[in-house]
Amino acid sequence: MSASIALPAAATLARPRARRRAGNLLPWLLLSPLLLLLAAFTYWPLLHTIYLSVVDVRLFQPDRFVGLDNFTGLFRSPSFAAASWNTVIYIALSLPLKVLLPIPIAVFVWCAGARMASLHRSILFVPTLLSFVVVSIVWIWMLNPVMGMVQSGLRPLGLQMPALLSDAATAIHAIIGISAWKVIGFNALLYLAGLASIPRELIESMRLDGASDWRITRSLLLPLLSPTIYFVAITSVLFTVQQVFTPINIMTGGGPSNATTNLFYLAYEMAFESFNIGFASATALLLFVGLGALAALKAWLLGRRVHYA
Amino acid sequence: MRNVAPLTLTPPWRAIGNIVLFVASLSIVVPLLLVVATSLKPPIEIHGGLPWPQSPTGGNYVEVFDKIPLGLYFWNSAATTALRVGGQLVIALLAAYAFARFEFRGRDVLFALTLGAMMLPHSLTFLPTYLMISWLGWFDSWWGLIVPNLAAPVGVFLLRQHMLAFPRDLLDSAAIDGAGPWRALWLVILPNIQPAMAAIAILLFIDCWNEYFWPLVITESEHAMTVQIGIRRFLDAERGDDLGALMAGVVLVSLPAMAVFLWFQRRILETFVSAGLKG
Repeated sequence: MSASIALPAAATLARPRARRRAGNLLPWLLLSPLLLLLAAFTYWPLLHTIYLSVVDVRLFQPDRFVGLDNFTGLFRSPSFAAASWNTVIYIALSLPLKVLLPIPIAVFVWCAGARMASLHRSILFVPTLLSFVVVSIVWIWMLNPVMGMVQSGLRPLGLQMPALLSDAATAIHAIIGISAWKVIGFNALLYLAGLASIPRELIESMRLDGASDWRITRSLLLPLLSPTIYFVAITSVLFTVQQVFTPINIMTGGGPSNATTNLFYLAYEMAFESFNIGFASATALLLFVGLGALAALKAWLLGRRVHYA
Repeated sequence: MRNVAPLTLTPPWRAIGNIVLFVASLSIVVPLLLVVATSLKPPIEIHGGLPWPQSPTGGNYVEVFDKIPLGLYFWNSAATTALRVGGQLVIALLAAYAFARFEFRGRDVLFALTLGAMMLPHSLTFLPTYLMISWLGWFDSWWGLIVPNLAAPVGVFLLRQHMLAFPRDLLDSAAIDGAGPWRALWLVILPNIQPAMAAIAILLFIDCWNEYFWPLVITESEHAMTVQIGIRRFLDAERGDDLGALMAGVVLVSLPAMAVFLWFQRRILETFVSAGLKG
């Protein structure tokens, strides 16, 4: 199966003429539950966030307009600086693990015999099924320096497991590794779908011309895989910013001393721990501008692929 | 996902490939086997013993229900997941039908807004949604867990694709036989897209069952908490003092998604991959 085949060209089919007249009200009736829900729980909150970011919300008093004070306050706060920097680190260090590492895995699964390929595919998919809560708990235990599983393996060798999660220098890397562990297999499956859609004839004809495996990989597979690579890269950025919330919340709570917090986690903490609605909304909005640009890029890529199909 | 070996790997590369796959698969399987093994260990074997249990026991699986109200958490998760996924499917089916089969003013804009909702990060909208749910009096209730998530744009998107791919001739002959739009939906389209509906249901089920952020924000008491929040609170309360019971809880919480996967293995892989490429 391929990414593009799944989007059929039937979109251009004309609809039955008779239905056009009868369907004046009916489509609105059919759509009304979806539209009401989207209005109430997606688009209204979007507008409300913008409003909340420029006011000071006070108990039992009307909201006070404060202009950009929430934003300037944010820019002066050290935790915002730490969270912004960490967000960049999370993304920059996650991308090679989540985007590049799955490519050779996918190629090797693709080349394996049918039975091995099917076994590896199933195993690679398992972390996708586990909740991030479960993954976090399992890895807290694995990495525990006193009674963790890794430590039990190291002890006979006379080695000591470092306390990765409570050390400000290593905690963020531990979370990056764990969040990669959760998605590498799934991304490999996405690449596998991309590989499976490459026409066999192209490979055969290159081979007849005497091309080596390496040559085929470099000049044919990787270029044809590039839309999938872009796509996985953008998805990984969006995923990384939002999904690391769970391991941060469970494994480190953003610490030690803000070493693992990111912008999403900061927005959550401001909203529900320090009850600073203005700061939380301003943070969410800034995050939105960044992520929204990426989501638009992703939608554009998706649109381009539909035309290729 | 047909599997045909297209590269004739030379022996060293074949070996490297096998090692890479072996290491990748082991890195997934070993931690999970250790979790299951630990959940079967009696208390005296938990610390410092062998990785596998010498005298396996199911005691931890009983104990975890004594330590936390896991049954209640399961009931909350199961009921809210069933209601939410059911609602999502009905709403998405109706909306996809409208988008795929009717022409009306504003259709393309509304479809773009639906796709836009798929792209909008939760991180942006959680605070106003929380304020609204509190204002409605749904904080710490099933309603708060279910209602804000009833719209599933990814479901609308996938079902619309399937309906667009649906053979026109069948619909035309149904119309000639006098079937109105409702009958066409229930009697012609629905039976034919059932595999797609099932696959999307599984996707939404796993999403909902594994969700952490929203239940964390919107629930406060045991009477609304889901399994994910429950197991997390168990972790905080025990901090590793009762590892066997914690791991038993981890296994139990993960079982439903695993069971569904084993049941519908092939279809799930394909649906997740195609949704992953679009969502």
